[in-house]
Amino acid sequence: MIKLVVKDLHKKFGGLHVLKGVNFEINGPELIGLIGPNGAGKTTLTNILDGAIKPNSGTVYLNDTRIDQLEPYQVALAGLGRTFQVTRSFRRMTVLENLYVPALAMGRPDSKPAIHDKAMSVLEFLTMDHLRNEFAQALSGGQQKLLELGRLLMLDPDIVILDEPFAGVHPRLMDIIHEYIRRVNDEGKAIIIISHQMDSIFSLSQRLLVLNYGDLIADGEPEVVKHDPAVIEAYLGSDEDEEEPEPATETQS
Amino acid sequence: MRRQVPYYAGLALIAFLALFPFVYSANDYDYIMHIFIIAFFYAILASSWSMLAGYAGQFSFGHMGFMGIGAYTTALFCHYFYLSPQATNVCTEFQFGDTWLVIVNPIGVTSTTLTQDCLSQALAVWGGAYEVTPMPVWLGIVLGTIMGGVFGLLIGLLVLRLRAAYLALFTLGFAEILRATISAEINITRGQAGIELPKLFQDGITVFGRTFSSTDKIPPYFAMLALLLLCLAILTWLAKSKFGLFVRALREDQDAAAALGVNTTRYKVLVFVITTMMAASAGAVQAHYIGIITPNNLFLLQMSLVVAMAVIGGVENFVAAAIGAIIIEFVLEMLRNSFDIGGITVDMTIWRLVIFGIILMLTLRFTRNGLITPVIEYFTRGHVGGETVAHRAQPADESEAAK
Amino acid sequence: METPGIFWGVISWMIVWAVLGSIITRRSYLKRDLDTSNATFVGAMMGAAAGPVGLVPLWMRTPELTKLLIVLPAIGAVTLIAAAFAFADPSNNCVSNGSFVASQITNGIIIGIIYGFMALGLTLIFSILGVVSFAHGEFYMVGGMLVYYITVVWFPGVSPLIGVLGSCSIAFLVGAVFERMFLTPMYKGKIDRPVEYGILVTFGLAFTIQYFVQALAGANPVKARRFFDFPRLRLPSADDAWLLKTSRGNLTLFDTISISNPRFVAAVVCILVLLSLLYFLHRTWTGKALRAVSLDREAAAIAGINPDRMNMLAFALGGMIAALAGSLLVQAFSWLPQVGNIPAMRSFVIVVLGGLGSLPGAFFGGIIVGLVEAAGTGCIPNPQKAASYIPAYGMVVLTLTLLLRPTGLFGRRFASGTHGKF
Repeated sequence: MIKLVVKDLHKKFGGLHVLKGVNFEINGPELIGLIGPNGAGKTTLTNILDGAIKPNSGTVYLNDTRIDQLEPYQVALAGLGRTFQVTRSFRRMTVLENLYVPALAMGRPDSKPAIHDKAMSVLEFLTMDHLRNEFAQALSGGQQKLLELGRLLMLDPDIVILDEPFAGVHPRLMDIIHEYIRRVNDEGKAIIIISHQMDSIFSLSQRLLVLNYGDLIADGEPEVVKHDPAVIEAYLGSDEDEEEPEPATETQS
Repeated sequence: MRRQVPYYAGLALIAFLALFPFVYSANDYDYIMHIFIIAFFYAILASSWSMLAGYAGQFSFGHMGFMGIGAYTTALFCHYFYLSPQATNVCTEFQFGDTWLVIVNPIGVTSTTLTQDCLSQALAVWGGAYEVTPMPVWLGIVLGTIMGGVFGLLIGLLVLRLRAAYLALFTLGFAEILRATISAEINITRGQAGIELPKLFQDGITVFGRTFSSTDKIPPYFAMLALLLLCLAILTWLAKSKFGLFVRALREDQDAAAALGVNTTRYKVLVFVITTMMAASAGAVQAHYIGIITPNNLFLLQMSLVVAMAVIGGVENFVAAAIGAIIIEFVLEMLRNSFDIGGITVDMTIWRLVIFGIILMLTLRFTRNGLITPVIEYFTRGHVGGETVAHRAQPADESEAAK
Repeated sequence: METPGIFWGVISWMIVWAVLGSIITRRSYLKRDLDTSNATFVGAMMGAAAGPVGLVPLWMRTPELTKLLIVLPAIGAVTLIAAAFAFADPSNNCVSNGSFVASQITNGIIIGIIYGFMALGLTLIFSILGVVSFAHGEFYMVGGMLVYYITVVWFPGVSPLIGVLGSCSIAFLVGAVFERMFLTPMYKGKIDRPVEYGILVTFGLAFTIQYFVQALAGANPVKARRFFDFPRLRLPSADDAWLLKTSRGNLTLFDTISISNPRFVAAVVCILVLLSLLYFLHRTWTGKALRAVSLDREAAAIAGINPDRMNMLAFALGGMIAALAGSLLVQAFSWLPQVGNIPAMRSFVIVVLGGLGSLPGAFFGGIIVGLVEAAGTGCIPNPQKAASYIPAYGMVVLTLTLLLRPTGLFGRRFASGTHGKF
C-alpha cells in the first residue's frame, strides 16, 4: 500500500516564507493534481519531496520511511520519481541509454536482456522505438518530454511527480501523455501532476490540491474545489499574483 | 558486418603491436621502440583523461600532477628504502626478524653530500661484509599507483561542488603546487636536477630462454603495452557497465541523474580515483623506464600535450584518444627534422608544435568528436540513421513529431 | 628558522580548528536557515584565529555575519600566523628588519596593482563571454615581446610609447580575430558544452602562440631597456633627502623604501589606464552596452545591443589589457616565450579571489596576491626555496578561496548566457 505523509512542512528562503505548514496524505494509487498561481510554492514542494532541498521543519514519510533528510538519489530509490519543469534528458546519450540509467540505478538484479526488453516495451508504448539508438539531443522537445516519462517507467517508483507534463507538447503527443498517466495509475502508482492547464488537470485528476502563497487552501474532488471560494479568490481575485516571481528554487548551485 | 569492423581492426592493431618488435629490424630499431614506449605512456594518460573529462565531464588539468605523484612515489621509495641483513646504527631503521628496513636520510644536491648518506657510511664501515637489497621495482610502482589513488580520492572529494572552469582552475592549482613543492624541496627530491630511479628491469630478465639486458627495449615495450591494454580493458569494462552509463548521465545532467537514483557523489569520486590511479601507474612505469624523473615532467606543457592528444583523437572515446596519442606522438617525432628553405633554416622542433596547436584548435572548432571517433562511429553507428528513417516511413503520423 | 616546532605547531592547531570551524559553522547556520554564503569562511577564520573560544559562541548564537564579523577573524588569523612566525624565527629579515618589511609591503602593493590590472582583462572576458581564457598569459607574453621587437629590433630608437601602442593594437587585433573565428559558435548553440569548449580552445590558442613566438624569437631571454629615467629629485632638500630621493633607475622613500623605476612606471600607467577603462565602462555608450551584456545577454540584445560585437570587443580588450601589462613589465624582467605561464596562473588566482566577473574584485585581489607573494618571498628563510615556491603562493590562495568562499570577495551570480553553468 502506497502511503505518503507530508506533515507541517515549512520552508523559508531568506525572508520569503515559501511553505507555511503544508499537510497532506496520499493513500493508495491516487491521481492528484497540484495547482496554484505562480509563486504558490509548487516547485519548492516538489523539490522538498524529491530531496533536492531540505525543509526548515516538518517531515515527509514515504511508506514509513522518512525521506525529507535524504539525498535525491536515495529518495528516488525509496520510490519517489519526478520529472522536471524544463526537460532534462541526457542529451548526448542514446534513447535506450537514457532508459537504462534508472533501471541500473535501482540495483535490482535484472539481467541486461530483461532491462533491454523492458526499455523496448516502454519505447513502443511511447511510439519511439524507431529512435532507440538516436541521441536524445536529436529528438524534438515533445519527444524529449516523452523520454523523460519513459525514464520514470524504468525507475518504477511508487509515487510519480510530473512537473508541467503538458507544457509545449504537440496535441498528438498529448494523447500519449494522457494514456501514460492512466497506465501508470492503473499499475497502482500514485501520481501528482503539477500543471497550469486546467482542462487537463480537471479531466484527469481525482483529487486536487491547491497551493496559494505557501498555504494549502483546498484539498478535495475537482468539482468541489472548483467552486471553493478561496480557490476562486486565489485565481481570479488578485491580478498581482501573476507578477510574483517563482522563488529561486531551481538555481544551479 | 560493418559494425564488427572496428573490433577486427583493434585486434589487428594489437597483433601488429605484439609482433612489431620481432619483425622490425632497421637501424633505428631502438629509436622506434623508444617512441612506441613513450607513445603508449601518452596513450594511457590520454585515454584515462578522456574517461575523466570526456565521459564524466570533469575537466581536470591536474592529470600530469597525478602522473608525477606515481613517478615520485616510486622514485622516493626506491631511493630511500633498503633492506639490510645487519643494523646500520646510523640510519633510521626498523627490524623485521633478521632483516632491517633502512630509511636513508635525505641529502642535499651538493657534490660533497651526494655520496655521504648514512647508508654509504655504514657500507664503508662494513667494508663489503654485508650487502643491502634495494626495494623491488614492482612494489614501488604499486605504491605509486595507490598513492595516486589516495590523492585522486582527496582531490575528488574537494572538487565535488566545483564545476567547469572552477574545477579546471583548482586542479591546475593542485598540479602547480605539487610541481613547486617538488622543485623547492631539494633535500628530498633533488629539485630540478631530478631523482634517479633503477631501470624497469635492472638486472635483466629472461623470458622463454631469451635474456634481455636492462637497456634492451623489448621488456619495457611489452611492460608499457601490457599496462596500456590493461587500462583500456578496465576502461572498456567500466564504460560498458553501469559505471560508464552513470558517469555520462552525470556529465549530461547531475540533478536529473540524482533524481533517477544515481549516487552522483560516489561516481564522481570514483571516476577521479580510477583515472588518477591509471595516470599514476603510467607515470611510475615511465619513470623507471627513463631512469630519471624531474619536475619538468609535470609542466603545463605536458598537460597540454595530453589534452591535445585526447581532443584530436576524440575526447569522448577513450580508444580513439589512445590511438590519437600514439599517432600524434609518432607524427611529432617524425616532424623533428629541420629543413632549409632558401637559406633560412626552419627549426621543426618548434614549428611542429605550432602546427600541432593549430590542428588542435581546428579540430575543436570543426569536429567536436575529434578525428578518430567519427571513423569508429561510421562503423558502429552507421545503421542508426537508416533504422530511424525506415521506421519513420511506416506510421505516417509520426513524421511530423520527429523533428 | 630557529624553532620550527613552535611555528608548525601553531599552524597545525589553526588548521585543525579552521577545518572544524568551516564544517560545523556552515552546518549550524544551515540548520537555523541563515545565510550560509559567508559561514564557511567566517567559521574557518574564527577557528584559526581564536580556536574553540571563538567558535563555540559562534555555533551557539549564530549571529548575523556582518562585515565586521567577516573581517575581524580574518585579520586575527593573519596576525596570529605572523606572530607565530615572528616568535619562532626572531632573527628573520622580515621580522627584525623594519625597513625591509616596509619595502616588501610597498613593492607588494605596487606589483599587486599590475597583477590586478592584468587580471582585470581576464575578468572582463569572463563577465561578457563566460569563458575563462587560458590564453591570457600568452597575450601578456606577446605584449612584452612586441615592445622588445618594435623598440629594439625592428625600429631601433623609436619611442617606447609607440612600442607599447603598437603591441596593444596588435594584441587587440589578434584577440578580435580569434574571437570571430573560434568563439562565435559558442553563442549559436552549436557547441554542446560551451564552457569546456571555451577552456580547451583558448588552451589551444595559448599552446599555438607560445610555440609560434618561440619559433620566431628563439628561446633566449630578451630585455627591453627602461622606458624613461627618473628626473633627479631630492626632497625636502638636497643635503637631507629623507623624504624622497631618486636616481635614474630607482626611487627611495623615507630612506628605507626602494622602488625600481620600471615597476613604478608600470603601476602608474596601470592606474591611469584603469581609470580610463572605468570611464569607458561607465560613461560611454559602448562601455554601458558591455556592462549590459554582462548582466543579461538576452535583455541587452532586445534593447538593441549586438551581443556578438560586444563579445569580440570584450575578448580583444581583455587580451589588450594583458598585453599592456606585459609591455610595461618587459622593461623590468627578462622575457622568454614561457614567461606568460606564471602570470596567467596568477590572474586565475586573482580573478577567483576577487570573484569571477568582478572588476573591483580583480583589483583588490591583485593587491592581496601581490602582498602574499611579497611575504612569501621575503620571509621563507631559504631564498632558493622561496623562489621555487613563487607559483605555489597564489595557488594556495586559490585553493583556500575555492574551499571557503567559492564566489570570491565580490562574487555575484550571473543571470544568463553560459555564466549560469558554473
